[in-house]
This record gives sequence, structure tokens and C-alpha cells, in this order.
Amino acid sequence: MVQRVIYDPNGFRNVEKDGKVIGYCFGYKAQYYRGFSPSIVRGVKICVDGEEAPQDAILFTNKGETFTLNELTTVVDADMRWEYGEYACFTVLKEGGLAAGKHHIDTEITICPSYMPFPNVAVTGTDFEI
Amino acid sequence: MSDIKRSISLYSYQDEYYAGVLDLEGCLRETAKTGATGVELLAEQMIRNFPNPIEDEAFRENWFSMLKKYGLTPSCYDAFLENRLFANRTLSLTEQVNMMKRDLHCAKLLGFPVIRTLVSTPMDVIEGSLEYAEKVGVKIGIEVHAPFSLNSGWADGYMEMINRTGTKYFGFIPDMGIFCRNIPDVVADKARRMGASEECIKIVNDAYAKRVSNGFVKIKYDLDLGKANMEYRMSNGMGEMMDAVKAAGGNEGDLWYAGTSFTYSWSEPQDLIDNIDYIFHTHAKFYNVHEDYKETAVAIPEVVEAYKKAGYNGFLSSEYEGGEHLRDVGVDSIEQCRRHQEALRRAIEG
Repeated sequence: MVQRVIYDPNGFRNVEKDGKVIGYCFGYKAQYYRGFSPSIVRGVKICVDGEEAPQDAILFTNKGETFTLNELTTVVDADMRWEYGEYACFTVLKEGGLAAGKHHIDTEITICPSYMPFPNVAVTGTDFEI
Repeated sequence: MSDIKRSISLYSYQDEYYAGVLDLEGCLRETAKTGATGVELLAEQMIRNFPNPIEDEAFRENWFSMLKKYGLTPSCYDAFLENRLFANRTLSLTEQVNMMKRDLHCAKLLGFPVIRTLVSTPMDVIEGSLEYAEKVGVKIGIEVHAPFSLNSGWADGYMEMINRTGTKYFGFIPDMGIFCRNIPDVVADKARRMGASEECIKIVNDAYAKRVSNGFVKIKYDLDLGKANMEYRMSNGMGEMMDAVKAAGGNEGDLWYAGTSFTYSWSEPQDLIDNIDYIFHTHAKFYNVHEDYKETAVAIPEVVEAYKKAGYNGFLSSEYEGGEHLRDVGVDSIEQCRRHQEALRRAIEG
């Protein structure tokens, strides 16, 4: 018997650069049944404690490489596929990051795989602690 | 004795793979344990950095040595034709044909005699790939998945192409989800957990029973799948069913159950016999097999009987799709596949 885990339970943390907290990040598994080119990601909405992250503050990291959402639309190399069952990391740039303690995240990740007449929209959320 | 063979599509183990409980070899091992002799692969699901490793000889040596170890034969390679790779356009005809050729090539390298293509594959992409399919000796099968069906305006579009080109390298892969006598019980149970009322579930079940007894109005051939699907739903009584659910105070769970009921359909098993010359693989879709080996929605005995009568000697490849309705409570695809293979074995050998 297996349960569905979407957010990496160990992945929520603040991100530091040059000694300063520049944002927060989390690990997320795509809610689809196969891997795909990141270029078919057509929408990323991230909302923590009711505050929606600006689109240009969101970064996507997979297999050690990082892209903005705009850049993601052209990422098609086979080695860059978002593999089935593997976490990709979303970073949200936000000065000071998130306060220590309990939070809630809601996301809406939209992909456009071939053949589906409508986009595949995954609306999920979870409580987490920093 | 029937020559029908049994396979498992590794799609079935998606929840265990997702959770990291099974890797590709683990899926092959579980497949072999059920008594199945065939394996169907979604390369884009279980081969990292697809398609690059398939070109690598060491990767293929490992693949074939695993098949040998578990006594499995490749049955079908599921292709996806990712033709909406870019936001600003659909891939051109040449790009799509080349992608189809890539999948035929990969299937060949991994020993698969058939690729499954999806209903969204444009006719000219299929036609443009036939010469290459013949060259590598891999057939292209289009999945016949609800809301689509055999002996329909949609299927006629493909029959016209088969007759016009005389190709032996294109045909149909029926998905046994088109033989659902009722909506799977796991779907109603999920609706209940979402708060659906017994009254609304009955409205939807009765509407489904009416579609089965009257015969489903078949879907037309239209490259605009969204449009074709909506026409299909409306001509099968979706409007009045939704009105009845809303009149009964339908909540979110009720509306979900009503909408999702169109994921299932009923075709006459005779359709298989009529089209057997064009069927070389089958997705044995299933949703829930109970401990007594009874599938709750798919008419396994009747469908297998039709295949036997038609003299089918291809694979029935288990494709478990009940897991997506159990993710809030837990999924056990391994046990479901074991039961389903036993149900198929009994129907084939019975």
C-alpha cells in the first residue's frame, strides 16, 4: 500500500546567499504519470499563507540547473526532463524568506501534455514548518 | 486452447514507482510474479533522460538481460507524441513525423513489435510514418479509449486510411475501458469521500445504465477533440443528467461524479470480432478487482469470450487505473495486478 506524497517533507527551507536569506524553496513532484520536457509547464502559482508569489520571483531547479518560468518554456533537452516521481525544486525569491514556524502552501501547476483536450491543472497544498 | 497471451503495462505500477517503492526492474519482477509473459512499457515514464539511454548499448544489454531473467517478452511500447512541446505552436507535420519515427526506432531497439499512439495523433502524421514503420517492422496501433469506440464515425476515418493505403502496419488497440457495464465502485467511493450524496450517485448511475441499455451515441471523427468530446457528451444525455444532479442540490462530490461518469463507456464486444483483422494489441484496462477475482465495471468474461471467438492471438495487457481514485486512502497496484491477471487467466483458460 502506498500513499501519495507531493511535497518533499524535508524540502521546505529558507535559501541563503552571501549570508542573507533571499527566499524560500520546496520540493514538488509533478502530478502526472510520466516524465516530460519542462517546456510543457504552462503555469506555476505559489501561494504561502495567502500571499501569492510574483511570477518573476519563481525559479525552477531540476537536475542541478535553474531556470526562470519564462526560460522554462524552451527547456526541451532530454537530460533536462522532469522525471516521473522525482522532486523538482521551486524557489521563491523573497527578502528575509519565511519566518520560523508553521505555514501553509497552495500551488497550482499547469502542464500541457499532448493529447489532453484541456490542460492538466494540479491544485494542491500542504502545511509545513520552517 | 486459446492463443491469447497475458501482459502487464507498467503504467499499472505508477503509484509504486512514484513513491520509489518499485523501480523499472522491480516492476518487471512484479509483472513476472503474476504469471504474465508480456510487458508493456511507457518509456517516458520509467527511462530517465528519455530517449537518450535507449541509444546506449549497455542500457539495452541490461534491458534484455532483465527480460530474460524474468521470462518476459516486450508486448507494446506506449508513445506520446508530445506535439505541444512549445507554448506558441503545435509541432509541424515534419517534426511530428520525426518524433513518431523516433518512437518506432526506440521500440525496435527495445524489442517491441507494436507502438501505441494516442487518439490525438493527426492522420497525416500516422500516414507519414507508415513507410518507416514497415522498414523497422514495428506496427502503429491507435488506442481506442473512451469516449472513442470501434464501429464509429471516428474509427471509420482510420479504416478509410487503412483501405486507401493498404497498410499492414496500422491498426487499433482497444482499451477495455470501453466495455464498462457500470461506473467502477472505486469512483463512487471516492465521490462519497468527497461528500457526494446517495441520491445524486443514483441519478448518475441510472443515467449510465440508460446509456448502456440505449446504446452510447458514438463520437465523430474530429481533430478538435475537445469539441468532439463535448458533442458526444451532450448527445449522450449529459445536459439532463447534470440538470437532475443540480436540482437534487448536487455538491462538489456529486458534480465530480457526474462529470467523471463520461470517462467510461460501453461498446458491444461484437465490435472486437468485427474488427479483429485490425487489432494486434489490447489494453486490458481495469479499475478494481475484488478478492473473488471479479472486476467491478469491466465485462472481462464477455470481452475475452469475444476475443476467443475472433481467434485473437495477441496480448491482453493489464492496465490498472483504479489507483488514482485511492490516493487519499492508499494504493496497492501489486495486489490489483495479481488479481487481474488471475481474472484474465480464468477467462482465457475457462
